[in-house]
Amino acid sequence: MANDTLKKSVTFISRHAPYGVNNARLTLDMALASAVFGQNVSYVFMQDGIYQLLKNQHADGIHSKTLGKALETLSLYGIDEVCVDAESLAERNIQSSELIKDVQLVSRVEIAKLIDEADAVFNL
Amino acid sequence: MSCLHTINKTPDSKLLPLCVSVLKPGDGILFIEDGIYHCAMTNLDTKFDTDIRVFTLQEDAAARGMLKRNLANIEFLNYRGFVELCCKYDKIVSWF
Repeated sequence: MANDTLKKSVTFISRHAPYGVNNARLTLDMALASAVFGQNVSYVFMQDGIYQLLKNQHADGIHSKTLGKALETLSLYGIDEVCVDAESLAERNIQSSELIKDVQLVSRVEIAKLIDEADAVFNL
Repeated sequence: MSCLHTINKTPDSKLLPLCVSVLKPGDGILFIEDGIYHCAMTNLDTKFDTDIRVFTLQEDAAARGMLKRNLANIEFLNYRGFVELCCKYDKIVSWF
């Protein structure tokens, strides 16, 4: 078990679409590694990052791992604070009903709070 | 000469208005890779004249959970159809 003094809260901000570039996958790897080592993880999806949360992704046709499926397992790793920027969704004409479940719709004010309260922020 | 324009970045890239500004009658647009997300945009169909054919690559749409977001006047292609399309148009212009 991680000693309490070693436990930090870490906020991950993911801002890229899932398959065209590698940023989304790398952010997920970092977040999962942090969670496995007992850190307190918040995961925020903004801008094109919101596309990662779309349901019904099937990436075998482009020889990739389906990122949406991996994101559905975040709670198994103790990552319960999964947030999506409502403004980014609206700009891209995506409804929250089109997203995988257990994602909270948040405002920029709430994202500012997650950044402020974190010991470290990764913005990829 | 007819031109097939491919777009492989999300709408954030602002490539579509740039591409549309140089379209000629008989040209085609093909959304591939992250370009697929253009299909979620409002009023996408009003951005083109009727003599512009618009395509998306089915494999890329399926990967991104966007199969159901395809609009009525956008044609799905598989990889084979992609190759045929490249032969059908005189030139390819890649916007990336």
